[in-house]
Amino acid sequence: MANSNLPRRIIKETQRLLSEPAPGISASPSEDNMRYFNVMILGPAQSPYEGGVFKLELFLPEEYPMAAPKVRFLTKIYHPNIDKLGRICLDILKDKWSPALQIRTVLLSIQALLSAPNPDDPLSENIAKHWKTNEAEAVETAKEWTRLYASGA
Amino acid sequence: MESEDYLYDSDAEETTDNDHYYYSDKEEEKKMQNIAVGDGDDESRSNRKAKQSYVLLKESDIQQRQENEITEVSNVLFISKAAATVLLLHYNWRVCDVQDEWFAGEERIRKKVGLFEKPVFLLPKKLREVELTCSICYENFRVSMMGWVSCGHPFCRDCWEKYVSVAIEDGVGCLTLRCPEPRCNAVVDRDSIDLFAKKNDKERYSQYLIRSYIESNKKYKWCPGADCEYAIELCEGGGDECYDVCCHCNNGFCWNCMDDAHRPVDCETVAKWQLKNSSEAHNTAWMLINTKPCPKCGKPIEKNQGCMHMTCMKPCRHEFCWLCLGPWKEHGETSGGYYACNTFQRNKEEGMYNEAEDIRKRAKKHLEKYTHYYERWAGNESSRQQALKDLKQMQKNYMGRLSDIQWATEAELKFITEAWLQIIDCRRVLKWTYAYGYYLPEDGNKKAKSKRGFFEYLQGEAESNLERLHHCTEKDMHDYLNKKCSDKEFNNFRAKLSGLTTVTRNYFENLVKALENGLEDTSSQEACSTIRSRKPRKGERTKGKRRP
Repeated sequence: MANSNLPRRIIKETQRLLSEPAPGISASPSEDNMRYFNVMILGPAQSPYEGGVFKLELFLPEEYPMAAPKVRFLTKIYHPNIDKLGRICLDILKDKWSPALQIRTVLLSIQALLSAPNPDDPLSENIAKHWKTNEAEAVETAKEWTRLYASGA
Repeated sequence: MESEDYLYDSDAEETTDNDHYYYSDKEEEKKMQNIAVGDGDDESRSNRKAKQSYVLLKESDIQQRQENEITEVSNVLFISKAAATVLLLHYNWRVCDVQDEWFAGEERIRKKVGLFEKPVFLLPKKLREVELTCSICYENFRVSMMGWVSCGHPFCRDCWEKYVSVAIEDGVGCLTLRCPEPRCNAVVDRDSIDLFAKKNDKERYSQYLIRSYIESNKKYKWCPGADCEYAIELCEGGGDECYDVCCHCNNGFCWNCMDDAHRPVDCETVAKWQLKNSSEAHNTAWMLINTKPCPKCGKPIEKNQGCMHMTCMKPCRHEFCWLCLGPWKEHGETSGGYYACNTFQRNKEEGMYNEAEDIRKRAKKHLEKYTHYYERWAGNESSRQQALKDLKQMQKNYMGRLSDIQWATEAELKFITEAWLQIIDCRRVLKWTYAYGYYLPEDGNKKAKSKRGFFEYLQGEAESNLERLHHCTEKDMHDYLNKKCSDKEFNNFRAKLSGLTTVTRNYFENLVKALENGLEDTSSQEACSTIRSRKPRKGERTKGKRRP
């Protein structure tokens, strides 16, 4: 069973996430798999995602915390660093991962990414191009998508 | 325990073996003097080879050199060997750069490579007995049970071990591993690896260290042979020119282009030829099929031995040349024929092409020419491969037997190994002369024509000698493997094989020399006359020893 032998670190992290959630972020483990988290991030204020509620899934692989958690957006989002499958281009999820980082820091970084899209390191070429050539229009699209896909939750 | 508390303990201490393999001209000359008889141009050869020396290095040699450089930097900069290793890694093992940069701005360099002079995370002395939480596993530990690098961020030993293990598993990047604390730039140096890592991981780490040493220095290269662990150092004055290196694994390669050894042909021609081979692969697919029908009985024959002299199975017993499929009795001078399989005779050259010069025909002609050279190039390579196998087989299975049967010591049987090595080397040279021949201008002025003629003459002479040597080594040998023969008979065999080896070597040296001189007239005449002057000697030596 996946939940037996859960490392102390994961138990502690989970407890803390539940007892002291970070502002604008909620993460709760699935009942049948304590390594799988249902995540919700509120669109940060003054960003095109403001007012949206974004669902994500987060999975702690067997090697965690030596390996990074796997995170992806479930809600459709118009963002240069997030592709249409919801995969996120974020250095700490890849080569900059450190075992001293945590679920909380990862989710905070994702929240920050929503506030500050980085079209110079794109995952989605088209959106990044849009962002660079006509930022105002791209921001409008992002707002539109937030209204369309991220408001019903 | 603090990370500074122990001394660096290197594997290199155990491996002080300085057993280098120097292949310098001196060795070469000695070998020549032992084997070559009456060769008057030792001096010119040694001149040419003087700059061509290299050293084969095994792992312990590399470690020793690496260790010397680390010690040097460590002594000059007054830093630990582990810190010196970090700096050398950062500057691609350039000792001078490390020293220059360090003295130009120690602080800047320390920051860049992550060597902290003072920890940024301070553990007050009285807290030493207090427990801290490891921020990786969230368990509590006494500070004395934790570990840290120069920044001081403490983590438990278990987490360190896993952290280091994952990094080493990930590859060569582990050489510049940083502290697990997010945004901390402190490097995890060799001492820390020694302290934290498991035995297996430590070994892999030193492998990466050795690899980085060889791969970041231009004067070193790994032998490209499969499973070969030797590295080669090109000594002073080697330069970038085309230059053959032969490793212990018997793999010969060109230092410059890393392709197979291809002296006397230059790297450019080799690259052109290889490209051509790959682009014409479709046209030449059929050539790769290893069978040819016997020209007499039509049964398909696979060439399973190295030399070109084929004998069909019973009852046909037809002897023919694998290359031209002509009867073997027309080959070789003793049978009155002339070994001419190396000469590309443009098919029905005159009178046949006076119809319209149609492109299709030209293409066909081109393909025929290419096919001719490709087949000989590939044929010699497969002969060489076969010879390599035969030599191994001989050394592994037959040497002992031969030594028992013929009452000869292994040292007395060295001539057999030498013959095989000569064959292997000659097959390689010969192979590349076919790439050379393909690009040698065919038409044109008298000079070009005479060059080609001269080339084909040299190549043909060399090749026919090689065929004799290969045949003798491969086939005649069998007579001695099963039954004891008289000492006299065996001595005759030895004399014949050694003689053939020497003669073949001489012919090939002339060929190589002539090609390296671009078949220039002066040298050609010289080489030509050398060959002519040798001819009677060769005749004497081989006379009456041909098989019936």
